[in-house]
Amino acid sequence: MSNVMENPKGGCVLAGINSVLGAIDRVCPIYHSGPGCCMQTTASDQGQSGHKSSCFVSAVSIPSSNMLEKEVVFGGTSKLRSTIQGAIDIIDADAYFVLTGCTAGIIGDDIVSVTSEFSEKGIPVYPIETPGFAGDSNLGYETVWNTFIDQVIETGVPKDDKLVNIFGIIPYHDPFWSGALEEIDRILSALGLKVNTFFTKGQGIDTIRKCSGAALNIVISPWLFTGPAKKFEKKFGVPYIRIPGMFVGATDTTRFVRSVASALNLDDALVESVIAREERYVYNYLEQAIGVLSWKRFAVVSDANNAIGFTRYLANDYSFTPVLVIISEPVFRPEDKERIIKEIEDLEYARPPKVLFLTDQYEINKAIREEEQEITLLIGSSNDREIALEKDIQFILGSFPMSERLIFNRTYTGYRGSLTFTEDIYDNN
Amino acid sequence: MAKVTYSGVRESKPGRLNDLGSTGKEVSENYKKGCLKRADRSFAQGLQCQQINSMAALMSLEDSVFISHSPQGCVGCAIMAVDMYRVGQIHRGVRLVKNPRLIVTNIDQKSVVFGGEAKLREAVRKAVDRYNPKLAFVFTSCASGIIGDDIDAICESLQAEYPDTLLVPIHCEGFKSKICASGFDAAFISINKYILKHQKIAKEEGLINLFAPTTVSYADQKEMERMLSLLGAKVNYIPFYSSLEKIRKIPAAQASTSICKVFADEFMKTLEEDYDIPYSHTVMPIGIRNTDKWYRGIAKVIGKEKEVEEIIAREHERIEPLVKKIRDRLQGKRVFICGGTGRSFAAAALIDDFGMELVGLETPTYDDDAQIDIEYLNGIHKDFVIDIANMQPFEQVNLVNRLKPDAFIGVPEWAAKLGVPTTHVLDGKRPTMGYDGLLFLGNKIADQLENPGFNKKLAAHSKLPYKDSWYEENPFKYITEGGN
Repeated sequence: MSNVMENPKGGCVLAGINSVLGAIDRVCPIYHSGPGCCMQTTASDQGQSGHKSSCFVSAVSIPSSNMLEKEVVFGGTSKLRSTIQGAIDIIDADAYFVLTGCTAGIIGDDIVSVTSEFSEKGIPVYPIETPGFAGDSNLGYETVWNTFIDQVIETGVPKDDKLVNIFGIIPYHDPFWSGALEEIDRILSALGLKVNTFFTKGQGIDTIRKCSGAALNIVISPWLFTGPAKKFEKKFGVPYIRIPGMFVGATDTTRFVRSVASALNLDDALVESVIAREERYVYNYLEQAIGVLSWKRFAVVSDANNAIGFTRYLANDYSFTPVLVIISEPVFRPEDKERIIKEIEDLEYARPPKVLFLTDQYEINKAIREEEQEITLLIGSSNDREIALEKDIQFILGSFPMSERLIFNRTYTGYRGSLTFTEDIYDNN
Repeated sequence: MAKVTYSGVRESKPGRLNDLGSTGKEVSENYKKGCLKRADRSFAQGLQCQQINSMAALMSLEDSVFISHSPQGCVGCAIMAVDMYRVGQIHRGVRLVKNPRLIVTNIDQKSVVFGGEAKLREAVRKAVDRYNPKLAFVFTSCASGIIGDDIDAICESLQAEYPDTLLVPIHCEGFKSKICASGFDAAFISINKYILKHQKIAKEEGLINLFAPTTVSYADQKEMERMLSLLGAKVNYIPFYSSLEKIRKIPAAQASTSICKVFADEFMKTLEEDYDIPYSHTVMPIGIRNTDKWYRGIAKVIGKEKEVEEIIAREHERIEPLVKKIRDRLQGKRVFICGGTGRSFAAAALIDDFGMELVGLETPTYDDDAQIDIEYLNGIHKDFVIDIANMQPFEQVNLVNRLKPDAFIGVPEWAAKLGVPTTHVLDGKRPTMGYDGLLFLGNKIADQLENPGFNKKLAAHSKLPYKDSWYEENPFKYITEGGN
């Protein structure tokens, strides 16, 4: 299900798949698609997410069958075969994944047969049969993990009770993905855990193959990944917990730590000492700048994960006043919407803000324009700057799509990220 | 004989090809003899599709809505035009920077089965309800093309419903062409058919159509306008940062010219046929030689040959001492160039201004126009490799690694990892063109090539994704005759 949309945020399924594959070291996507899909999908996510793009292959360096009229009419499998062969010959990858564009999907090319010619010879080539028109980047994230669960992740891997897998943060779609994963890794490592982020530390396809040995899957998202998490549990016996939103600041990060600790029965003394140390670190800074930021009545336009993190930190930990929160990614299931609303409305002291689910830029602008309560700070994407300028509201570019910032390892996640977030909001005007 | 209507697909022109590996000398001889055959690549990397160009060409128009009849992914590359539009407003002093109004119909599984007409109708209705725009462009996609939505018929029926918004369908399905510049032609064909409609209007003395694509910076626009105003011309700068009114003015012009070789080149021929507007099609005005050539071209069309020589002499007097200083820093450096059609040949001419030597050239298409440039380059440079490719980084890195140039001009991403000093002549946010642009560009090139520390250190820490064995192979190994 896809709606007519003004200034959409993110790309098609292929964009999401490409974002994930591009973030895994030495993995090569191969497109069986029209000539522009490599660029379009890379530009949809990587090109609008703080200007960082996959350095193995991305955009015009991705192998592609570039289907033209001839392939549309007569089928493109022979073109795909020679494209896969060429990719194997020249690109030094540990695994190759064949993606289907709309063109191949509509004409019905059988990519499974073609890839099996290679996989039967022991070459790691895997088909992903989900054409672009099937959905958006978020679905692409789930699709690629479903593919891994079905075709890549091994069974019978010895269990490691200290190993955890992190899911829910989409690389290159969340502009702060790598910094966020690094902060999560840092915190969990302090608890004595080994962390599969999959997209940092040079982790590659081998990490994915062996990730069934984990003791716990941690899904950091209020709504994504329910299907794959259940499928993972069923096939490999790894339970999952859902952290219902990104954690920004001491309160929610500590809540995250306790959730993981409880699921894994970690040693209380260790957990409490880590929490105490980390919270002290945060407050050591906060106490050096009390009253430096002027008080704000704020609005957020973001994906659900970060909207929850931003809102809860600013309301619960920083005593700003939440006015309006717009979830700007398509969320369809009522139970998912309820979970998101609960996280945003269930605040410690602050009155709950208005929560809207709007993906269309005209409607987003309209909601902010017509908001009766005063807003003095807007955290949003590059698309949302226009309305902030129009209403003369302080604007922080903090969500996807993000074109006017370069983001390497910056993050607003966790204990340390909340300090960066607070720094960025500072305004001497 | 009935006039053959140009389809907008650049491959439909005889003798034009996209896949070839050769040398400057060999390709020009073979072209003359008619021995070049159309080919394909049995292995290739991704291309830019023509839909990207159709959209980018128009997305800065005022009072317009842009409707992409496609899945959501097909507007990914629109970010480049969106960014240019936003930055361009800042450069033009606009404080309340606006987004372009881009609506995607979001073709999905249901539309693939039942057709996408309902979604397109909804998108047009939203465009009109929300913005009451003067123009609404409808762009096709691979998906809408293959499922067979008749956007012309749908737009025609909607036009009756919404008489105040001019609906302009544009046929830019990606699978129709390997040459992304076809998308420019598709846009102009529709502008002629739906906006200008072959209606002649009163001429405006001294008015010149200056066709500019989305990659032209505001600094470059001002320099082009300055140069043309020195000839006494008034400039109709289109379609970048223009409007329906300015497009409607096109037939009133006395002459046309373009900033880019593959932008509006076909359209200017049409304007001559349909509206008696003569045109100049030369080169991109980057570097002294090319700027002179471009300037003389348009001056000749408007009968200002004498005036232009006086201005050129004055401009040369002003900038040549400064260019000499740049030349002293760059003389003799061996260069590899990769770019789009306009910029790649412009860069090749530019390096001659600076006394540099061409060792390799990567450009997307070969045709009559390219032949003229190659013959000119053959007259200056002893021998150089030519790769007819739209990017294809795997061939590029093989060639760059083999030729070991002192400098690389083009997208730096891959050559940088080989440690080669890199620079570029494409900058949509800063000056590159005309006499003023040349100094900024020349100093940038000299400074960047003089200080290659970043690339040297990057190469020591970073590896390209290709196998070592690939660098030993023939770079043109995958080019096969008789393809698409």
